[in-house]
Amino acid sequence: MADTTLLPLHRADGSATYSKNGYSVVAAVNGPIEVQRRDELPEEAAVDVVLRPAAGVGGLRERHLESVVQHTLRHVILVSAHPRTLIQCTLQIVTGPEDDSVTCSLPQAASDLPVLPALLQASILALLSTSIPLSMTLTAAFVAVNSKDTLVLDPSVQQIKRASSIHLLAFSSRGDLLVVESEGDFTIDKWEEVHQKAKLICHGEEGDESESEDVSMKSDDISKLENVLKDAVERQIAKEQRWNQTIG
Amino acid sequence: MPREAEPSFNERAFLLQAVQDNIRLDGRALDTYRNLDISFADNFGIADVRLGKTRVITRISASITAPRHDRKLDGIFTITTELSPLASPAFESGRQSDLETHLSRILEISLRRSQALSTESLCLVAGQKVWSLRADIHVLDYDGGLIDACCLSTLTALRHYRIPDTSVKGGELTVYTPLERDPVPLAILHHPLCVTFNFFELGEKWLVDATLMEQQCSEGEVVVAANPQGEVCLLQKGGGGEMDALVLLRCVEVALGKVRELGKVVDGALERDAKRRDKGGKSRELRAENER
Repeated sequence: MADTTLLPLHRADGSATYSKNGYSVVAAVNGPIEVQRRDELPEEAAVDVVLRPAAGVGGLRERHLESVVQHTLRHVILVSAHPRTLIQCTLQIVTGPEDDSVTCSLPQAASDLPVLPALLQASILALLSTSIPLSMTLTAAFVAVNSKDTLVLDPSVQQIKRASSIHLLAFSSRGDLLVVESEGDFTIDKWEEVHQKAKLICHGEEGDESESEDVSMKSDDISKLENVLKDAVERQIAKEQRWNQTIG
Repeated sequence: MPREAEPSFNERAFLLQAVQDNIRLDGRALDTYRNLDISFADNFGIADVRLGKTRVITRISASITAPRHDRKLDGIFTITTELSPLASPAFESGRQSDLETHLSRILEISLRRSQALSTESLCLVAGQKVWSLRADIHVLDYDGGLIDACCLSTLTALRHYRIPDTSVKGGELTVYTPLERDPVPLAILHHPLCVTFNFFELGEKWLVDATLMEQQCSEGEVVVAANPQGEVCLLQKGGGGEMDALVLLRCVEVALGKVRELGKVVDGALERDAKRRDKGGKSRELRAENER
Protein backbone atom coordinates (compact mmCIF):
# COMPACT_ATOMS: atom_id res chain seq x y z
CA MET A 1 0.00 0.00 0.00
CA ALA A 2 1.13 3.52 -0.65
CA ASP A 3 2.70 5.42 2.20
CA THR A 4 2.37 9.19 2.12
CA THR A 5 3.51 12.10 4.25
CA LEU A 6 2.69 15.71 3.63
CA LEU A 7 5.14 18.50 4.51
CA PRO A 8 8.06 16.40 5.80
CA LEU A 9 10.53 19.19 4.96
CA HIS A 10 10.79 22.54 6.72
CA ARG A 11 12.39 24.88 4.24
CA ALA A 12 10.60 24.17 0.98
CA ASP A 13 7.20 25.82 0.42
CA GLY A 14 5.52 22.46 0.13
CA SER A 15 6.73 18.90 0.18
CA ALA A 16 5.57 15.31 0.25
CA THR A 17 6.94 11.81 0.40
CA TYR A 18 5.36 8.95 -1.45
CA SER A 19 6.43 5.33 -1.17
CA LYS A 20 4.94 2.50 -3.09
CA ASN A 21 6.07 -0.65 -4.79
CA GLY A 22 9.60 -0.35 -3.40
CA TYR A 23 10.13 3.21 -4.58
CA SER A 24 10.30 6.07 -2.16
CA VAL A 25 10.30 9.63 -3.50
CA VAL A 26 10.58 12.99 -1.77
CA ALA A 27 9.12 15.91 -3.67
CA ALA A 28 9.46 19.58 -2.82
CA VAL A 29 7.74 22.49 -4.51
CA ASN A 30 8.89 26.08 -4.29
CA GLY A 31 6.66 28.60 -5.87
CA PRO A 32 5.62 30.90 -7.20
CA ILE A 33 9.16 32.33 -7.08
CA GLU A 34 11.26 34.67 -9.15
CA VAL A 35 12.13 33.29 -12.54
CA GLN A 36 15.33 33.72 -14.49
CA ARG A 37 14.96 36.10 -17.40
CA ARG A 38 15.60 33.45 -20.05
CA ASP A 39 12.93 31.08 -18.64
CA GLU A 40 10.33 33.76 -18.09
CA LEU A 41 6.99 33.33 -19.87
CA PRO A 42 4.92 36.52 -20.26
CA GLU A 43 1.50 34.91 -19.88
CA GLU A 44 2.04 31.95 -17.62
CA ALA A 45 4.18 30.45 -14.89
CA ALA A 46 7.18 28.44 -15.93
CA VAL A 47 7.18 24.94 -14.45
CA ASP A 48 10.58 23.51 -13.68
CA VAL A 49 11.04 19.86 -12.72
CA VAL A 50 14.34 18.55 -11.39
CA LEU A 51 14.78 14.85 -10.77
CA ARG A 52 17.68 13.58 -8.74
CA PRO A 53 18.52 9.90 -8.72
CA ALA A 54 19.26 8.00 -5.51
CA ALA A 55 22.85 7.32 -6.56
CA GLY A 56 25.04 9.00 -9.12
CA VAL A 57 24.31 12.07 -11.17
CA GLY A 58 21.34 12.51 -13.42
CA GLY A 59 21.65 11.50 -17.03
CA LEU A 60 19.51 11.03 -20.10
CA ARG A 61 17.04 8.85 -18.25
CA GLU A 62 16.42 11.49 -15.60
CA ARG A 63 16.04 14.22 -18.27
CA HIS A 64 13.42 12.10 -20.03
CA LEU A 65 11.46 11.48 -16.84
CA GLU A 66 11.72 15.17 -15.97
CA SER A 67 10.20 16.11 -19.30
CA VAL A 68 7.30 13.68 -18.86
CA VAL A 69 6.53 15.03 -15.39
CA GLN A 70 7.02 18.63 -16.51
CA HIS A 71 4.62 18.31 -19.44
CA THR A 72 2.05 16.71 -17.16
CA LEU A 73 2.31 19.26 -14.37
CA ARG A 74 2.11 22.14 -16.81
CA HIS A 75 -1.43 21.09 -17.63
CA VAL A 76 -2.40 20.34 -14.06
CA ILE A 77 -1.22 23.62 -12.55
CA LEU A 78 -3.23 26.73 -13.41
CA VAL A 79 -0.16 28.34 -14.93
CA SER A 80 -2.03 31.39 -16.19
CA ALA A 81 -2.78 32.37 -12.57
CA HIS A 82 0.88 33.22 -11.95
CA PRO A 83 2.40 34.83 -15.04
CA ARG A 84 6.15 35.57 -15.06
CA THR A 85 6.93 33.35 -12.11
CA LEU A 86 8.50 29.98 -11.59
CA ILE A 87 7.02 26.92 -9.96
CA GLN A 88 9.90 24.66 -9.15
CA CYS A 89 9.37 21.00 -8.39
CA THR A 90 12.31 18.97 -7.14
CA LEU A 91 12.02 15.21 -6.96
CA GLN A 92 14.49 13.08 -5.09
CA ILE A 93 14.39 9.31 -5.35
CA VAL A 94 15.39 8.02 -1.92
CA THR A 95 15.18 4.28 -2.39
CA GLY A 96 14.37 1.94 -5.23
CA PRO A 97 13.21 -1.67 -5.00
CA GLU A 98 15.68 -4.19 -3.60
CA ASP A 99 17.07 -5.19 -6.98
CA ASP A 100 18.17 -1.64 -7.68
CA SER A 101 20.94 -1.89 -5.14
CA VAL A 102 22.63 -5.02 -6.42
CA THR A 103 25.61 -2.90 -6.70
CA CYS A 104 27.67 -4.14 -9.60
CA SER A 105 26.37 -1.73 -12.18
CA LEU A 106 23.71 0.90 -12.47
CA PRO A 107 20.63 -0.55 -14.14
CA GLN A 108 21.07 1.43 -17.32
CA ALA A 109 19.12 -0.87 -19.57
CA ALA A 110 16.19 -1.16 -17.20
CA SER A 111 12.97 0.57 -18.07
CA ASP A 112 12.37 3.98 -16.60
CA LEU A 113 8.61 3.57 -16.35
CA PRO A 114 8.28 1.87 -12.92
CA VAL A 115 9.40 4.95 -10.99
CA LEU A 116 7.11 7.32 -12.89
CA PRO A 117 3.87 6.70 -10.93
CA ALA A 118 5.69 7.49 -7.68
CA LEU A 119 7.13 10.67 -9.21
CA LEU A 120 3.75 11.86 -10.46
CA GLN A 121 1.96 11.09 -7.20
CA ALA A 122 4.69 12.67 -5.07
CA SER A 123 4.73 15.82 -7.19
CA ILE A 124 0.96 16.23 -7.08
CA LEU A 125 0.95 15.80 -3.30
CA ALA A 126 3.73 18.36 -2.97
CA LEU A 127 1.78 20.79 -5.16
CA LEU A 128 -1.31 20.26 -2.99
CA SER A 129 0.70 20.95 0.16
CA THR A 130 2.08 24.15 -1.38
CA SER A 131 -1.50 25.32 -2.09
CA ILE A 132 -0.71 26.09 -5.70
CA PRO A 133 -3.96 26.47 -7.64
CA LEU A 134 -4.54 23.35 -9.68
CA SER A 135 -7.13 22.63 -12.34
CA MET A 136 -7.31 19.00 -11.24
CA THR A 137 -5.42 16.34 -9.35
CA LEU A 138 -4.07 13.20 -10.89
CA THR A 139 -3.52 9.57 -10.00
CA ALA A 140 -1.20 7.19 -11.77
CA ALA A 141 -1.38 3.42 -12.08
CA PHE A 142 1.24 0.98 -13.25
CA VAL A 143 0.16 -2.24 -14.91
CA ALA A 144 2.15 -5.07 -16.47
CA VAL A 145 0.85 -7.69 -18.88
CA ASN A 146 2.66 -10.98 -18.32
CA SER A 147 3.31 -13.72 -20.84
CA LYS A 148 0.05 -15.47 -19.93
CA ASP A 149 -1.84 -12.33 -20.96
CA THR A 150 -3.01 -11.54 -17.44
CA LEU A 151 -2.74 -8.10 -15.89
CA VAL A 152 -0.45 -7.55 -12.92
CA LEU A 153 -0.95 -4.46 -10.83
CA ASP A 154 2.16 -2.80 -9.34
CA PRO A 155 4.50 -5.52 -10.61
CA SER A 156 7.76 -6.33 -8.84
CA VAL A 157 11.14 -5.99 -10.55
CA GLN A 158 11.13 -9.67 -11.47
CA GLN A 159 7.61 -9.47 -12.85
CA ILE A 160 8.56 -6.47 -14.98
CA LYS A 161 11.50 -8.39 -16.41
CA ARG A 162 9.24 -11.25 -17.43
CA ALA A 163 6.32 -9.11 -18.61
CA SER A 164 5.50 -8.84 -22.29
CA SER A 165 4.44 -5.20 -21.92
CA ILE A 166 4.25 -2.56 -19.20
CA HIS A 167 1.94 0.44 -19.09
CA LEU A 168 1.75 3.61 -17.10
CA LEU A 169 -1.55 5.47 -17.13
CA ALA A 170 -2.41 8.63 -15.25
CA PHE A 171 -5.94 9.94 -14.90
CA SER A 172 -7.17 13.35 -13.89
CA SER A 173 -9.63 13.73 -11.04
CA ARG A 174 -12.41 13.94 -13.63
CA GLY A 175 -11.45 10.53 -14.98
CA ASP A 176 -9.77 11.74 -18.17
CA LEU A 177 -6.62 10.09 -19.39
CA LEU A 178 -3.64 12.40 -18.84
CA VAL A 179 -0.48 10.39 -19.40
CA VAL A 180 0.05 7.09 -21.10
CA GLU A 181 3.39 5.43 -21.59
CA SER A 182 3.63 1.86 -22.81
CA GLU A 183 6.55 -0.42 -23.52
CA GLY A 184 6.65 -3.87 -25.12
CA ASP A 185 4.36 -5.86 -27.43
CA PHE A 186 0.63 -5.57 -27.03
CA THR A 187 -2.55 -5.33 -29.07
CA ILE A 188 -5.07 -2.51 -29.05
CA ASP A 189 -7.61 -4.80 -27.36
CA LYS A 190 -5.11 -5.58 -24.62
CA TRP A 191 -4.43 -1.89 -24.18
CA GLU A 192 -8.15 -1.22 -23.84
CA GLU A 193 -8.29 -3.84 -21.12
CA VAL A 194 -5.31 -2.23 -19.37
CA HIS A 195 -7.01 1.15 -19.67
CA GLN A 196 -10.19 -0.19 -18.04
CA LYS A 197 -8.24 -1.79 -15.24
CA ALA A 198 -6.10 1.29 -14.59
CA LYS A 199 -9.14 3.51 -14.53
CA LEU A 200 -10.74 1.19 -12.02
CA ILE A 201 -7.66 1.38 -9.80
CA CYS A 202 -7.51 5.15 -9.95
CA HIS A 203 -11.20 5.94 -9.71
CA GLY A 204 -13.10 2.91 -8.51
CA GLU A 205 -16.35 1.72 -10.07
CA GLU A 206 -17.72 3.49 -13.10
CA GLY A 207 -20.96 4.59 -11.46
CA ASP A 208 -19.23 5.66 -8.26
CA GLU A 209 -19.24 9.37 -8.96
CA SER A 210 -23.00 9.56 -9.37
CA GLU A 211 -23.48 8.28 -5.83
CA SER A 212 -23.35 10.67 -2.93
CA GLU A 213 -19.86 11.76 -1.92
CA ASP A 214 -20.10 10.35 1.59
CA VAL A 215 -20.83 6.80 0.51
CA SER A 216 -17.89 6.63 -1.86
CA MET A 217 -15.61 8.11 0.81
CA LYS A 218 -16.61 5.54 3.38
CA SER A 219 -16.44 2.48 1.17
CA ASP A 220 -13.03 1.21 2.17
CA ASP A 221 -11.96 0.30 -1.30
CA ILE A 222 -8.25 0.47 -0.60
CA SER A 223 -7.29 -0.16 -4.20
CA LYS A 224 -8.76 3.18 -5.20
CA LEU A 225 -5.77 5.42 -5.63
CA GLU A 226 -7.74 8.62 -5.48
CA ASN A 227 -8.51 7.83 -1.84
CA VAL A 228 -4.81 7.72 -1.02
CA LEU A 229 -4.58 11.33 -2.12
CA LYS A 230 -7.71 12.33 -0.25
CA ASP A 231 -6.52 10.50 2.84
CA ALA A 232 -3.16 12.24 2.88
CA VAL A 233 -4.71 15.66 2.55
CA GLU A 234 -7.41 14.90 5.13
CA ARG A 235 -4.83 13.77 7.66
CA GLN A 236 -2.80 16.91 7.10
CA ILE A 237 -5.85 19.14 7.53
CA ALA A 238 -6.85 17.33 10.71
CA LYS A 239 -3.30 17.79 12.02
CA GLU A 240 -3.17 21.47 11.17
CA GLN A 241 -6.66 22.20 12.47
CA ARG A 242 -6.44 20.18 15.67
CA TRP A 243 -6.64 23.39 17.72
CA ASN A 244 -10.01 24.05 16.17
CA GLN A 245 -12.70 21.89 17.80
CA THR A 246 -15.40 22.69 15.27
CA ILE A 247 -13.55 21.05 12.37
CA GLY A 248 -13.12 17.30 12.29
CA MET B 1 16.96 33.16 -8.12
CA PRO B 2 16.00 33.90 -4.54
CA ARG B 3 18.69 34.39 -1.93
CA GLU B 4 18.73 33.05 1.59
CA ALA B 5 16.74 35.51 3.71
CA GLU B 6 18.94 37.45 6.12
CA PRO B 7 17.70 37.79 9.68
CA SER B 8 16.29 41.24 10.40
CA PHE B 9 18.16 43.80 12.53
CA ASN B 10 15.87 43.11 15.47
CA GLU B 11 16.28 39.39 15.25
CA ARG B 12 20.02 39.78 14.97
CA ALA B 13 20.24 42.14 17.94
CA PHE B 14 18.05 39.83 20.00
CA LEU B 15 20.14 36.79 19.18
CA LEU B 16 23.43 38.56 19.87
CA GLN B 17 22.15 39.91 23.17
CA ALA B 18 21.02 36.43 24.14
CA VAL B 19 24.37 34.89 23.23
CA GLN B 20 26.10 37.54 25.35
CA ASP B 21 24.03 36.26 28.28
CA ASN B 22 24.90 32.64 27.40
CA ILE B 23 21.40 31.90 26.20
CA ARG B 24 20.42 30.35 22.89
CA LEU B 25 17.07 30.88 21.25
CA ASP B 26 16.17 27.19 21.40
CA GLY B 27 17.18 26.90 25.04
CA ARG B 28 20.26 24.75 24.54
CA ALA B 29 23.52 25.32 26.37
CA LEU B 30 26.23 26.89 24.19
CA ASP B 31 28.10 23.62 23.82
CA THR B 32 25.34 21.11 23.13
CA TYR B 33 24.11 19.56 19.94
CA ARG B 34 20.52 19.52 18.81
CA ASN B 35 18.56 16.30 18.94
CA LEU B 36 20.33 13.74 16.78
CA ASP B 37 18.29 11.02 15.15
CA ILE B 38 19.81 8.36 12.91
CA SER B 39 17.75 5.86 10.97
CA PHE B 40 18.46 3.37 8.22
CA ALA B 41 16.56 2.14 5.19
CA ASP B 42 15.97 -1.53 4.44
CA ASN B 43 18.92 -1.66 2.07
CA PHE B 44 22.47 -1.45 3.38
CA GLY B 45 24.39 1.79 3.15
CA ILE B 46 21.58 4.34 3.39
CA ALA B 47 21.75 6.54 6.46
CA ASP B 48 19.15 9.18 7.25
CA VAL B 49 20.50 11.67 9.78
CA ARG B 50 18.38 14.36 11.38
CA LEU B 51 20.14 17.01 13.40
CA GLY B 52 17.38 19.26 14.66
CA LYS B 53 15.67 20.42 11.49
CA THR B 54 18.63 19.62 9.27
CA ARG B 55 18.19 16.34 7.45
CA VAL B 56 20.75 14.53 5.34
CA ILE B 57 20.47 11.18 3.58
CA THR B 58 23.65 9.50 2.38
CA ARG B 59 23.66 6.56 0.07
CA ILE B 60 26.67 4.39 -0.63
CA SER B 61 26.93 2.44 -3.86
CA ALA B 62 29.71 0.45 -5.43
CA SER B 63 30.70 -0.68 -8.89
CA ILE B 64 33.73 -2.37 -10.39
CA THR B 65 36.07 -0.32 -12.57
CA ALA B 66 39.69 -0.14 -13.65
CA PRO B 67 41.96 1.72 -11.19
CA ARG B 68 43.79 4.95 -11.95
CA HIS B 69 47.10 4.41 -13.74
CA ASP B 70 49.22 6.02 -11.05
CA ARG B 71 47.46 4.18 -8.22
CA LYS B 72 47.13 0.59 -9.26
CA LEU B 73 46.60 -0.82 -5.79
CA ASP B 74 43.98 1.65 -4.62
CA GLY B 75 40.25 1.50 -5.04
CA ILE B 76 38.29 4.65 -5.83
CA PHE B 77 36.22 6.48 -3.27
CA THR B 78 34.28 9.58 -4.24
CA ILE B 79 32.00 11.78 -2.20
CA THR B 80 29.46 13.88 -4.06
CA THR B 81 27.38 16.61 -2.56
CA GLU B 82 24.79 18.51 -4.45
CA LEU B 83 22.57 21.02 -2.72
CA SER B 84 19.16 21.03 -4.34
CA PRO B 85 16.13 23.29 -3.87
CA LEU B 86 14.69 20.57 -1.61
CA ALA B 87 16.80 21.88 1.23
CA SER B 88 16.20 25.57 0.72
CA PRO B 89 14.78 27.71 -2.09
CA ALA B 90 18.11 29.55 -2.18
CA PHE B 91 19.93 26.52 -3.52
CA GLU B 92 20.00 26.20 -7.24
CA SER B 93 20.32 22.84 -8.88
CA GLY B 94 23.00 22.47 -11.48
CA ARG B 95 25.22 25.27 -10.25
CA GLN B 96 27.83 24.83 -7.55
CA SER B 97 27.53 27.37 -4.79
CA ASP B 98 30.31 28.49 -2.43
CA LEU B 99 28.71 26.57 0.41
CA GLU B 100 28.78 23.41 -1.65
CA THR B 101 32.45 23.81 -2.55
CA HIS B 102 33.29 24.48 1.08
CA LEU B 103 31.32 21.44 2.19
CA SER B 104 32.82 19.05 -0.32
CA ARG B 105 36.37 20.26 0.45
CA ILE B 106 35.92 19.65 4.15
CA LEU B 107 34.42 16.21 3.63
CA GLU B 108 37.21 15.38 1.22
CA ILE B 109 39.88 16.23 3.79
CA SER B 110 38.19 14.82 6.86
CA LEU B 111 36.95 11.55 5.41
CA ARG B 112 38.87 10.76 2.27
CA ARG B 113 42.35 12.12 2.85
CA SER B 114 42.41 11.08 6.48
CA GLN B 115 42.20 7.52 5.11
CA ALA B 116 39.12 6.74 7.16
CA LEU B 117 38.28 4.19 4.50
CA SER B 118 41.19 2.02 3.46
CA THR B 119 41.17 2.36 -0.34
CA GLU B 120 43.67 -0.49 -0.59
CA SER B 121 41.00 -2.83 0.72
CA LEU B 122 38.88 -1.94 -2.32
CA CYS B 123 41.47 -3.39 -4.70
CA LEU B 124 40.36 -6.65 -6.31
CA VAL B 125 42.89 -7.47 -9.05
CA ALA B 126 45.94 -5.18 -8.93
CA GLY B 127 46.01 -2.80 -11.86
CA GLN B 128 42.85 -4.22 -13.42
CA LYS B 129 39.82 -4.25 -11.21
CA VAL B 130 38.94 -2.25 -8.14
CA TRP B 131 35.78 -1.28 -6.36
CA SER B 132 34.67 2.24 -7.05
CA LEU B 133 32.72 3.37 -4.02
CA ARG B 134 30.62 6.46 -4.12
CA ALA B 135 28.81 8.32 -1.40
CA ASP B 136 25.91 10.44 -2.61
CA ILE B 137 24.93 13.00 -0.03
CA HIS B 138 21.39 14.32 -0.37
CA VAL B 139 20.62 17.32 1.79
CA LEU B 140 16.86 17.34 2.28
CA ASP B 141 16.49 20.04 4.88
CA TYR B 142 18.87 22.81 5.79
CA ASP B 143 18.91 24.53 9.14
CA GLY B 144 22.62 25.00 9.82
CA GLY B 145 25.10 22.39 10.98
CA LEU B 146 25.44 21.09 7.43
CA ILE B 147 29.10 20.08 7.71
CA ASP B 148 28.60 18.14 10.94
CA ALA B 149 25.46 16.42 9.66
CA CYS B 150 26.97 15.47 6.29
CA CYS B 151 30.15 14.10 7.85
CA LEU B 152 28.18 12.12 10.40
CA SER B 153 25.78 10.81 7.80
CA THR B 154 28.54 9.73 5.41
CA LEU B 155 30.51 7.95 8.11
CA THR B 156 27.40 6.22 9.42
CA ALA B 157 26.43 5.09 5.92
CA LEU B 158 29.96 3.79 5.30
CA ARG B 159 29.88 1.83 8.53
CA HIS B 160 26.44 0.48 7.69
CA TYR B 161 27.28 -0.50 4.12
CA ARG B 162 28.00 -4.10 3.18
CA ILE B 163 29.95 -4.68 0.00
CA PRO B 164 29.47 -7.93 -1.99
CA ASP B 165 32.00 -10.59 -1.08
CA THR B 166 34.53 -11.53 -3.77
CA SER B 167 37.19 -14.11 -4.37
CA VAL B 168 40.05 -14.31 -6.87
CA LYS B 169 41.18 -17.70 -8.13
CA GLY B 170 43.78 -17.98 -10.86
CA GLY B 171 43.28 -14.35 -11.86
CA GLU B 172 39.54 -14.83 -12.23
CA LEU B 173 37.33 -12.65 -10.13
CA THR B 174 34.04 -13.88 -8.68
CA VAL B 175 31.54 -11.49 -7.13
CA TYR B 176 29.02 -13.25 -4.89
CA THR B 177 25.40 -12.19 -4.69
CA PRO B 178 23.90 -11.68 -1.22
CA LEU B 179 22.21 -15.07 -1.58
CA GLU B 180 25.48 -16.92 -2.14
CA ARG B 181 27.55 -15.18 0.51
CA ASP B 182 26.71 -12.50 3.01
CA PRO B 183 28.13 -9.14 1.97
CA VAL B 184 31.00 -7.90 4.13
CA PRO B 185 31.51 -4.58 5.93
CA LEU B 186 34.05 -2.09 4.61
CA ALA B 187 37.52 -1.76 6.12
CA ILE B 188 37.18 1.46 8.05
CA LEU B 189 40.36 2.41 9.85
CA HIS B 190 39.08 5.17 12.11
CA HIS B 191 35.94 7.20 12.63
CA PRO B 192 36.53 10.92 12.09
CA LEU B 193 33.67 13.36 12.70
CA CYS B 194 33.40 17.11 12.21
CA VAL B 195 32.47 19.63 14.88
CA THR B 196 31.75 23.21 13.85
CA PHE B 197 32.16 26.16 16.20
CA ASN B 198 30.65 29.55 15.49
CA PHE B 199 32.18 32.66 17.01
CA PHE B 200 30.63 35.81 18.42
CA GLU B 201 31.94 38.98 20.05
CA LEU B 202 35.37 38.96 18.42
CA GLY B 203 36.01 35.35 19.33
CA GLU B 204 35.02 35.80 22.97
CA LYS B 205 31.98 33.53 22.77
CA TRP B 206 31.59 30.37 20.73
CA LEU B 207 28.85 27.88 20.27
CA VAL B 208 28.54 24.38 18.89
CA ASP B 209 26.07 23.19 16.23
CA ALA B 210 24.69 26.58 15.20
CA THR B 211 21.28 26.80 13.57
CA LEU B 212 21.02 28.68 10.29
CA MET B 213 20.16 31.95 11.99
CA GLU B 214 23.00 31.67 14.49
CA GLN B 215 25.29 30.88 11.60
CA GLN B 216 24.16 33.98 9.71
CA CYS B 217 24.73 36.20 12.75
CA SER B 218 28.13 34.76 13.67
CA GLU B 219 31.48 36.34 12.86
CA GLY B 220 33.31 33.24 11.80
CA GLU B 221 33.59 29.53 12.20
CA VAL B 222 36.14 26.90 13.04
CA VAL B 223 35.74 23.32 11.88
CA VAL B 224 37.55 20.58 13.75
CA ALA B 225 37.53 17.02 12.46
CA ALA B 226 38.84 14.43 14.85
CA ASN B 227 38.44 10.77 15.66
CA PRO B 228 37.45 9.32 19.04
CA GLN B 229 41.09 8.29 19.62
CA GLY B 230 41.91 11.98 19.88
CA GLU B 231 43.70 12.49 16.56
CA VAL B 232 42.84 15.74 14.80
CA CYS B 233 42.27 15.29 11.06
CA LEU B 234 41.37 18.82 10.09
CA LEU B 235 41.33 22.26 11.58
CA GLN B 236 39.95 25.08 9.53
CA LYS B 237 39.12 28.62 10.41
CA GLY B 238 36.92 30.65 8.14
CA GLY B 239 35.95 34.28 8.55
CA GLY B 240 36.12 36.36 11.71
CA GLY B 241 38.99 38.31 13.17
CA GLU B 242 42.13 37.21 14.91
CA MET B 243 41.84 34.56 17.52
CA ASP B 244 43.63 33.56 20.66
CA ALA B 245 45.57 30.31 20.28
CA LEU B 246 44.29 29.18 23.66
CA VAL B 247 40.69 29.50 22.46
CA LEU B 248 41.58 27.32 19.50
CA LEU B 249 43.10 24.71 21.80
CA ARG B 250 39.99 24.81 23.93
CA CYS B 251 37.89 24.25 20.78
CA VAL B 252 39.91 21.18 19.86
CA GLU B 253 39.48 19.87 23.38
CA VAL B 254 35.70 20.39 23.29
CA ALA B 255 35.56 18.88 19.79
CA LEU B 256 37.19 15.67 21.00
CA GLY B 257 34.55 15.34 23.69
CA LYS B 258 31.79 15.95 21.13
CA VAL B 259 33.25 13.46 18.64
CA ARG B 260 33.24 10.77 21.34
CA GLU B 261 29.68 11.68 22.27
CA LEU B 262 28.46 11.61 18.65
CA GLY B 263 30.42 8.42 18.00
CA LYS B 264 28.50 6.73 20.80
CA VAL B 265 25.19 7.78 19.26
CA VAL B 266 26.29 6.32 15.92
CA ASP B 267 27.46 3.10 17.61
CA GLY B 268 24.12 2.81 19.36
CA ALA B 269 22.13 3.37 16.16
CA LEU B 270 24.21 0.81 14.23
CA GLU B 271 23.87 -1.72 17.03
CA ARG B 272 20.10 -1.29 17.17
CA ASP B 273 19.87 -1.73 13.41
CA ALA B 274 22.07 -4.84 13.49
CA LYS B 275 19.82 -6.32 16.16
CA ARG B 276 16.75 -5.55 14.07
CA ARG B 277 18.26 -7.34 11.05
CA ASP B 278 19.63 -10.24 13.01
CA LYS B 279 16.60 -12.48 12.91
CA GLY B 280 17.07 -15.67 14.92
CA GLY B 281 20.59 -14.66 15.99
CA LYS B 282 22.25 -16.47 13.09
CA SER B 283 24.23 -13.56 11.66
CA ARG B 284 27.37 -14.48 13.61
CA GLU B 285 27.54 -17.93 12.09
CA LEU B 286 26.52 -16.87 8.59
CA ARG B 287 28.85 -13.96 8.04
CA ALA B 288 31.72 -14.32 5.60
CA GLU B 289 34.31 -12.00 7.14
CA ASN B 290 37.06 -13.36 9.34
CA GLU B 291 37.59 -12.51 12.96
CA ARG B 292 40.59 -10.16 13.21
